[in-house]
Amino acid sequence: MNMKTFAKKIGMLAAVSALAVSTACSSGGSEPEEAEATDTEAAGKQEQVAFTDIGSDIKGNDKPTAEQIAEVNDTLNDTYLGDIFEQEIPSHYGAYPFPGDVTLDVWMPANPDVPDMNTQAVQDQVEKLTGIKVNFITPPVGQEADSFTLMISSGELPDIIIDPGRYPGGLEAGVNDGAYIDLTEQMEKNAPNYSEWRNSDEMRRKTTVTDDGRLLGFYGIAPYSEWMWFGMLIKQEALDKTGLEVPTTVDEWHAFLTKAKEVGYSEPLNYGSSYGQLFTGIINGAYGVWDWTFLDADGKVKWGPAQPKAKEYLTTMQQWNKEGLLNRDWATADFNQRMATAISDKTAVMMDSPDTMWSYWKQQNDFDFVGAPNPVLNEGDQPQVSYKNFMRAGTNAAITTQAENVEAAMAFLDFSYTKKGWELLNYGEYGKVHLIDADGKPYYPADSYIYEDPDGQPVATTLHKYRMHNWPDIRDEHNSNPLIVAEGSYSGDIRKTWTEEMDASMTMPPITFTQAEASREAELGNQLATLRSEYFAKIIMGEMPVDAYDKFLAEAQKMGLDEFLSLHQAALDRYNQR
Amino acid sequence: MLTLRKNKKGNALAASERPKTSLMIRKDVRKNWFPYLLAIPVLAWFIIFCYGPMWGVLIAFKDYKPLLGFEASPWVGFKHFVDFFQGPYFWRVVKNTLLLNLWGIGFGFTAPIILALLLNEIRNKMFKRTVQTITYMPHFISLVVVAGMIHIFTADEGIITQVLQWITGKEYSSLLGYSSMFRPLYVFSGIWQSIGWESIIYLAAMGSIDTSLYEAADMDGANRLQKMWHVTLPQITPTIVILFIFAVGGLMASGYEKIILLYNPLTYDTADVIASYVYRRGLREASLSYSTAVGLFSAVINFGLLWMTNNIARRKSEVSLW
Repeated sequence: MNMKTFAKKIGMLAAVSALAVSTACSSGGSEPEEAEATDTEAAGKQEQVAFTDIGSDIKGNDKPTAEQIAEVNDTLNDTYLGDIFEQEIPSHYGAYPFPGDVTLDVWMPANPDVPDMNTQAVQDQVEKLTGIKVNFITPPVGQEADSFTLMISSGELPDIIIDPGRYPGGLEAGVNDGAYIDLTEQMEKNAPNYSEWRNSDEMRRKTTVTDDGRLLGFYGIAPYSEWMWFGMLIKQEALDKTGLEVPTTVDEWHAFLTKAKEVGYSEPLNYGSSYGQLFTGIINGAYGVWDWTFLDADGKVKWGPAQPKAKEYLTTMQQWNKEGLLNRDWATADFNQRMATAISDKTAVMMDSPDTMWSYWKQQNDFDFVGAPNPVLNEGDQPQVSYKNFMRAGTNAAITTQAENVEAAMAFLDFSYTKKGWELLNYGEYGKVHLIDADGKPYYPADSYIYEDPDGQPVATTLHKYRMHNWPDIRDEHNSNPLIVAEGSYSGDIRKTWTEEMDASMTMPPITFTQAEASREAELGNQLATLRSEYFAKIIMGEMPVDAYDKFLAEAQKMGLDEFLSLHQAALDRYNQR
Repeated sequence: MLTLRKNKKGNALAASERPKTSLMIRKDVRKNWFPYLLAIPVLAWFIIFCYGPMWGVLIAFKDYKPLLGFEASPWVGFKHFVDFFQGPYFWRVVKNTLLLNLWGIGFGFTAPIILALLLNEIRNKMFKRTVQTITYMPHFISLVVVAGMIHIFTADEGIITQVLQWITGKEYSSLLGYSSMFRPLYVFSGIWQSIGWESIIYLAAMGSIDTSLYEAADMDGANRLQKMWHVTLPQITPTIVILFIFAVGGLMASGYEKIILLYNPLTYDTADVIASYVYRRGLREASLSYSTAVGLFSAVINFGLLWMTNNIARRKSEVSLW
């Protein structure tokens, strides 16, 4: 039998079929793009619509009638909302309801507490008010990065992508590679609210534009710089049992934790790491060994793990770990495991967010707690933190090159930057979720769905269920985060005190990289991050001696630490010139 | 080499009789159309999923950006290979892949053979079946569930951790946090998962051994152990060799699923293998071209290993894949 010819034929067949299959696939993928729908009326409709003033009916009304509720929820009338911030929130509603039947596909990492974004309470109302229907595409929780890569590789993009910085190299690379569109030219015309809001403050303007002056997406922009949101939290009962004051220096902390262990907290400090707690600057900051890049006294970029006192820091933590002051599973515990330990009687101190702990400790388990400033080395030093919010909050959005109706996509996103959008996205539905006080400021009444969920879910869940917590909008965290504003909650006070008392001047501003820099920066950054996590974790666990740090530093240098820093320095210089 | 030469001769001969062969094939197809029909889905599977996407390895030599498309992405030659070979993780992932698989061959490959030999000696049918069922049950548990079980059993106060503390007298926190524990945990949980299932093929081979061989051994006064050693084992050697070739051919390959379910940055230095590295770089960090280059590299080495083992096996035992 002639095997060779047979094989040849099979090979040919395979090649031909492969070709056929691949062409079939590719022709399916590249459907002819429909011409952008342009609406000639839009320009005329930008004018301000006049509303009847319903302020007197709604302001301070704690028992609104069904008609009043409908008036607030179903119309764009915002005359009852006060101006509570330094800058007035814009209210250009000319584009709504958007003409025609438009449905936008929006890719968005899901929140595990919201099973289906398409039925999320707030989004239904946004659709009603804007006249734009939205179909959310949400990747499985925990697989966001993989799903994003697969989506990009498939070449099939939705209209809007939330958190577009996931694109390798960032937003700018995404625009250059043809994933997202440059919105600079259209912003003023199609997104009047966003434009006005971002230009109302110099910091907002500077952090939402690229180095070369382009506008590539819609950034979440807060009315103010949000408070510091994580740090040392001590159970009140631990302070009572040990009879000690809130510690301030590293030595006092050591004494406190030791005493706490004596009185029965078997793993007093919960030092989690699997979602970043190892390097939040809380303890390492005292040694100047910041997690990542920071500004030194001369405004130059430095890398925290390479700072001179790193060995001191590692020696201390190794010692603490050896003495059993840290939770034993700190290197592997996930969020749920951490919270389970937190509420047990093993833990005296958490390194976490006061909002989260207010829910888990106080609300669900009735543990009172206090916030402590980040430890310092010497008595009297000012505590430091490398976190500063540059009025950038929530998340970002970009419009893809495959968006069929860019104008509709922009109008949809722009709604979040109107007064009505601010009310709706931050405070949810009027009536069931929030009411308006006499000054025109929204608030949650005691029987709000936020606190008294008909399904019985805790506030940590309802804050995602009845309002938007992470969205490209005017995020009003301090007034609308129910964990902060709930009656009796002191998490906001802790955050405020931290922010006021700690020095955050070493924080890096939100710089951006050029496309050429971005891929190199990402590569070096990933390698350095992995190296740092490995060495630091192992040294603290005692699997490696502290002297292994020298090897770590040598390896970091070899990987290209200097190049990495020069990329950051260049980006910082450009940022300062924006 | 010997078979190769034979093939060449065969081809040369057949070339002159080409029409006859195609006629034969056509005749054969007409006669046995049903088996051919049955083969079509398998053939289609190979063509669509194995050969079809093969041209995609070309992106290993490009700086591939999906949205620019294959054509518009620039050629970069061997840049990604050079980056990988000179990069800080090259030796680590190669070493880990090899070591993990050697551990796998050392323990994981022999375990089902031993189990099969032991089961073969059991005369009580009820007991034998019970043992078999119990040992191959884990095979049907989803990998994610298995990983979840490992996480629970090796946690701070997990049962495996407790037993280990009791034996060694040392304090351990979660075992998955120690890089020295990764290989044993990975390999022995793998044995637990697959020992029963993999022993089936050996049991089948043992079932087909001619009973007269045992009778002859009995006549010669061989005891059980001697029969096992001199009759059973040699009789299943071809099966063992074939499976061994497969195992060695996969030395540089390994499934990444179980590894990424179990590893963490603390154990990267023993747990990070080529496949998990490719997954991290390719899917999580979206360096598609780079990870394709790494994948291609390991595929080439695998093919070399497979070829080498096959040749050695053919020379030494006359059992081989081709």
